[in-house]
Amino acid sequence: MHHIYCPYCEEMREEEEYSYTGEAHIERPKDPAAISDEAWADYIFFRSNPRGIHHEMWYHAAGCRRYFNATRDTQSYKVHETYKMGEMPTITAATVAANQVAKGDAS
Amino acid sequence: MSGFRHGAGRLGDAQLNFTFDGKPMLARAGDTVASALLANGVEVVGRSFKYHRPRGVTSSGPEEAGALVTIGAGGKADPNARATMEPVTQGLEVFSQNCFPSPKFDLMSVNGLAGAILPGSLFSAGFYYKTFMWPAALWYKFYEPSIRAAAGMGVPPKVADPDIYDRIQMFCDVAVVGGGSAGLSAALSASQSGLRVVIFDEHNDLGGQLLNEANSDQNADLEQWRKDTIAALEAADNVTVLARAVCWGRFDGNMLAAHQSVDGKVRQNYIKVQAKKIIIAAGAIERPLVFGNNDKPNVMLASAARRMLNHYGTATGKMLAVFTNNDSAYQTAFDYSDAGIKVSAVVDSRQYPSEALVDGCMSRGITLHTQAVVTEAKGWQAVRSIEIADLAANGQSVSNRRRVACDVLAHSGGWTPQVQMAAHGGKPPIYDKTIAAFVVGDQAPDTYSVGAAEGENGLLAGVAQALEAAKAACAELGGTAGAVTAPPQDRDGATNIVPLWSVPAKGKQLVDIQHDVTAADVVQSHSEGFVSVEHLKRYTTLGMANDQGRTSNVNALAIMAECRGVSIAEAGTTRFRAPIAPVSMGGFAGREIGKHFKPVRRTPMQEWHEKAGAVFVQAGMYMRPQYYPQAGETIDDAYERETEHVRKKVGICDVTSLGKIEIVGPDAAEFLDRVYINMFSTLKVGKARYGVMLREDGIVYDDGTTSRFAEDRFFMTTTTAKAGPVMAYLERCLEIDWPELKVRVSSVSERWGAMAVAGPDARATLTAAFPSVDFSNEAFPFMGVVHAEHNGAKLVILRISFSGEMAYEVYATSEHATDIWQTVVDAGQAYDIVPYGLETLGALRIEKGHVTGAELDGRVTLGDVHMDGMASKKKWFVGKNLKQREGMVHPDRPQLVGLKSVDPRTPISTGSILVTEANATAGADKQGWVSSMTYSPELGSFIALGFLRGGKDRIGERIYAAYPVKGKNVEVEVVSNHFVDPTNDRVKG
Ligand SMILES: [Zn+2]
Repeated sequence: MHHIYCPYCEEMREEEEYSYTGEAHIERPKDPAAISDEAWADYIFFRSNPRGIHHEMWYHAAGCRRYFNATRDTQSYKVHETYKMGEMPTITAATVAANQVAKGDAS
Repeated sequence: MSGFRHGAGRLGDAQLNFTFDGKPMLARAGDTVASALLANGVEVVGRSFKYHRPRGVTSSGPEEAGALVTIGAGGKADPNARATMEPVTQGLEVFSQNCFPSPKFDLMSVNGLAGAILPGSLFSAGFYYKTFMWPAALWYKFYEPSIRAAAGMGVPPKVADPDIYDRIQMFCDVAVVGGGSAGLSAALSASQSGLRVVIFDEHNDLGGQLLNEANSDQNADLEQWRKDTIAALEAADNVTVLARAVCWGRFDGNMLAAHQSVDGKVRQNYIKVQAKKIIIAAGAIERPLVFGNNDKPNVMLASAARRMLNHYGTATGKMLAVFTNNDSAYQTAFDYSDAGIKVSAVVDSRQYPSEALVDGCMSRGITLHTQAVVTEAKGWQAVRSIEIADLAANGQSVSNRRRVACDVLAHSGGWTPQVQMAAHGGKPPIYDKTIAAFVVGDQAPDTYSVGAAEGENGLLAGVAQALEAAKAACAELGGTAGAVTAPPQDRDGATNIVPLWSVPAKGKQLVDIQHDVTAADVVQSHSEGFVSVEHLKRYTTLGMANDQGRTSNVNALAIMAECRGVSIAEAGTTRFRAPIAPVSMGGFAGREIGKHFKPVRRTPMQEWHEKAGAVFVQAGMYMRPQYYPQAGETIDDAYERETEHVRKKVGICDVTSLGKIEIVGPDAAEFLDRVYINMFSTLKVGKARYGVMLREDGIVYDDGTTSRFAEDRFFMTTTTAKAGPVMAYLERCLEIDWPELKVRVSSVSERWGAMAVAGPDARATLTAAFPSVDFSNEAFPFMGVVHAEHNGAKLVILRISFSGEMAYEVYATSEHATDIWQTVVDAGQAYDIVPYGLETLGALRIEKGHVTGAELDGRVTLGDVHMDGMASKKKWFVGKNLKQREGMVHPDRPQLVGLKSVDPRTPISTGSILVTEANATAGADKQGWVSSMTYSPELGSFIALGFLRGGKDRIGERIYAAYPVKGKNVEVEVVSNHFVDPTNDRVKG
């Protein structure tokens, strides 16, 4: 059971209040009427499914009913941060890798 | 009869009465069912799962795999309870399992003989998999019934459980799993930091292995330390001590799950604890040795025999023998001997036990056999002697077999740290050769495992580890752990184990006692190619019983490693998963049972419907009137009457359950143009329009009517089932896809009560009810919207029809909805208005050919339901890109058709398969299905809606609706789905 911080409610709330709604930061094609079926299928169906850091959307269904983003580790399930729609994550696969390198150098 | 009361142990004086299979027995306060049964001389407690071999008490804890009993009777019956974990209460009823006619004489034990005669055929490894491959027909007729009769555990009660279960949510800084010396020390030390501490122990009495120690003068200071530490914890405000609470799983976010048994009104609590730090001090479990007939009653773990004597004041026999491969079991022999019970032999598979142990035996006159093994336990029902032999240096053969008398055999194959809870959150355990067991490898984040659970069996050394962990955990949380007094005595933890995984012996050698998995099964699993430990587990069902492999796993995988010629470390362990102990479903359900399972939604008119004698049906969470029977009417009579009445006169139906959403903002029209396939920006204020939504993949999502109240204000209705999902979907579109649109959506489903008034006299009825509204065709045409007020109620009236008749939907503010309903009913008296329910609503819409959830099942395209023409060509909308893909518009797709029984009085079953042959068999060409059916009074026939391959062009064809499960085959004619008024004149009249 995770406790997840809703950036709109500004509180830690139980996982049960939320639902996961898919990968975040997938840009919607500006003019869907004009693009090929392949490009549209790519937008609709294809997701990155990484091992490790993943940015994803959550819905505060039993709370403020707003959608926000979360940075979560798909291996440990740890939710590293949550942030509002339109904002960018501060923790990414790149920052985590850089941290590990830094730690490795130190020891 | 071998067990008997011997001394007081730590039990109270109070005498309790209980029964075992109806026979009266005596117990003392503090007894478990296991200790009490042993004290009453009971040896055979039940029969085993597959071979029906006699079973007795094998342990004194959660690892019990032999003494499984049913506790309580009737609805309170709890089958497969571990006798070692169940406290005796006054009047408790205990029953044996798998025994016919009695545990001592069991007819089914012939299974054991069959297994011996036909190895590999009956109930051996992979039995279930192989059986499933036999001819399917035989499975149903013969194998399943006979296996169910022969194999199985206790019988679940067939009546509702009358007990109450609760769910509790807790938060703490430091959670300690296990209340032995290490756990108690860690909890007390952490509590002195002021942080919130929770400590769990699955037993009634805390103390762990300290409870195995004799309650003697010599140990008085140690016992006092245990009591003082528990008292200090119980006195601290910031500590919650949870006894009889089995912590069975660790989940994301440091959540621990536990089931706690409690006395009183509530039977069990399901407790979820959110901890910041977790100290796992779950201890270790002794494992059995694998030798011939090692499952015979009165063969038990050495530590259990010792606890029975020292804690429960129950001697397990009059003559004890001990079989071991390590030091720890000697203390059992010494304690029994010191208590005046004869010890006939200590059989040690090692060549050179330490001098202290040898001296201990000599000084007590105990015969010690070294480099020797027990090859077989002997006795008809329970142990009466053992066969022992000398073990060859290579461990592969034995010689010099001889008999030793005893009536209880205490054995020890070493100790298995309880790593499950630690393993749930971290990496797989690693093999530690010095203790011949798996220990926690990498600790999971925020977790410290200490003491015997970490492979440290020494008393003071384990406590020291625990205090270190408490210190570190508190420090990370900004606290300072306190100094606590260490136990006043030490116990050496070195077992000096020399592994002995199996004995070259005759007779069945059980590895998993509860599931009757033998060493031979493990070897067979290997020879059939199931060599991975995960495959071994599934192929043999090893470790899947109540004890979750606590006693069996290490032995089994050691035997597998031997077969494979690899090290135990290489063979590895199976993955540990929650729950690690049997848990009751009642705890998960808590109080959310029966009517509390899910909330019931009622419309404002509920009371009116009740008074009118409505029969209700659950539709989603809503209770909706299904029909309103008059005296002597069946459901069919009632809905046929109601349907006919609506077509001829007028009826009123509660449609409050529809989803209602207000869509407001300057971009509201643009927004609707994107989510609906048809245009809404062109909709005039004061008008309604039917709309259809697609999913992005082109499949039909939902339909409903949306009205325009003002330029920037729309009122959407959704189907009852999709009210929630459509709302969430619209919110998602606005938040994620088109944040630039200036639109707000809000659910107003509860704000409005709604009723449909339908039939040729609907206009006259409403004119009489609301004289201020002009209902003339000119002022209020089909698809018109009117706002009104009536006696303080706000009204929205839409002229729309789901029935095909002239009809209106009247929305009234919820608090006034019943008054408005009554107003309409009163006004309708002149036209014999009748209320109609869901059955009639369905019958009317099927006659009209309207689709609903039964048709829009998530597989249907616009073309399938003949709505492709509605899709706008002038704009883009959700689903447009993919709706025209080849597969979505293929002419052979199943398409919506009407179906009419050729014999009008023959019903067509919903779910029937559409075929062209009269007597279709399983191999028939399945061309479609029936989605909805009704009797149509208008047509005087049973009719249905369904989907038929290429159905659009098959009108007039005669086919069959087959329902093989019920042996039905109904000849039907394919017709248009618009059975009634296909030109749609009535709604406009
Ligand atoms: Zn929120």
